[in-house]
Amino acid sequence: MSASATTEPRLAAAARWVSTGARLVLGGVFLVAGGLKAIDPQSSVAAVRAFKLLPNSLVTIVGWALPFAEIALGLLMLAGIATRVVAAATAMLLIIFILGVVSAAARGLSIDCGCFGGGGEVAPGQTAYGIELVRDLGLLLLALWLVWQPRSRLALDGFASARIGASQ
Amino acid sequence: MNGPKNMNAHERARLAAEQAAARKRDQRILIAVVAAFVLLVVAAGIGLQAWRTNRSPSVAPSSSVSASPVTITNGQPIVLGSAEAPTTITLYEDFHCPHCADFEEEFGPVITQAQESGSARVELYPMAFIDEGSAAAANAMACAAEAGFGQAFYLGLFANHTLQWSDAQLIDLAAKVSGASPSEAFKTCVTGTAHADWVSSINAAADKNGVAQTPTMLINGKSVDIATLTPDALKAMITNASQR
Repeated sequence: MSASATTEPRLAAAARWVSTGARLVLGGVFLVAGGLKAIDPQSSVAAVRAFKLLPNSLVTIVGWALPFAEIALGLLMLAGIATRVVAAATAMLLIIFILGVVSAAARGLSIDCGCFGGGGEVAPGQTAYGIELVRDLGLLLLALWLVWQPRSRLALDGFASARIGASQ
Repeated sequence: MNGPKNMNAHERARLAAEQAAARKRDQRILIAVVAAFVLLVVAAGIGLQAWRTNRSPSVAPSSSVSASPVTITNGQPIVLGSAEAPTTITLYEDFHCPHCADFEEEFGPVITQAQESGSARVELYPMAFIDEGSAAAANAMACAAEAGFGQAFYLGLFANHTLQWSDAQLIDLAAKVSGASPSEAFKTCVTGTAHADWVSSINAAADKNGVAQTPTMLINGKSVDIATLTPDALKAMITNASQR
């Protein structure tokens, strides 16, 4: 199906290495962010609550679940399994995070996003919405790149049937 | 085309359609497997966190700070340590505030040492704004101070800050830090949230005193910048304040 390695255009080869980098960065960030939050469930719940977007009944479950969703996606991303599907899910999660931060900033809340653990209320003027948004947008770009170019080196996708996962 | 010579256009189209269908099916299976994996990890995580927040508290670091019973007065903080201590450390904390737990881990030993040596006493404003557990813990803190084991209970609450603080967990913690079965009075104080009004009055007092975040620390009434503080610097601050 695919062209042999010798005739593969250089550009496509380069794209695969870019995708590899994107996968490792995204996977690493998600794994670390999820892990730091999973350590302290109370903080994670407090961080979700601080956004004041969810009813109290959902705050706890989301605060507990979110870090593990990040860990699961991070592991799949690092392993390079079903890259396009996982990248799409990651992009959706990032869009939710971005909307959350934008809405917190728009409502004038003084909170830390708790993206890497901690979170909750901070003093007015100690917010870092700009940096949080730039970082999340950067990660979103990487995820969207992977939806477009899911084929990469050092990925388990390559070992599976060439038709699935990373196929066009 | 490199297909067999006898394959006509119709057969080629059929083969392509079959391959496309197989590809689609594989893709669907893959999505299902990935979704199942993510759901499994999330479900296991929720189970783990439910267990971690509902389990019984572990023992807290011990402290020899005086254990005389304290009277709870609306709007007034709980005083922990010697009334004659030259330095007053005022703390505004929520027992479920993550930064308070970090603060306690880093600076708690220095403060406890100052209380034990008699150089400082703590005026504690246990605020309750994060969740139900914050309020339950603040109420139980008042019950424990009244019963005479406030300091040990305080350390126990922060040593176990990942717990959700149900009544049973608070009573269990009291038994562990006081080394005895809690009195009926303490139990009804916890289950009946006897100090609910006091907890609200503390929130109101913090508001009135202009406290916008937790943890907030004042030494002899002067606000301390916690962001740049080190344990050694705090130690020096307490020593200096005590020598005045």
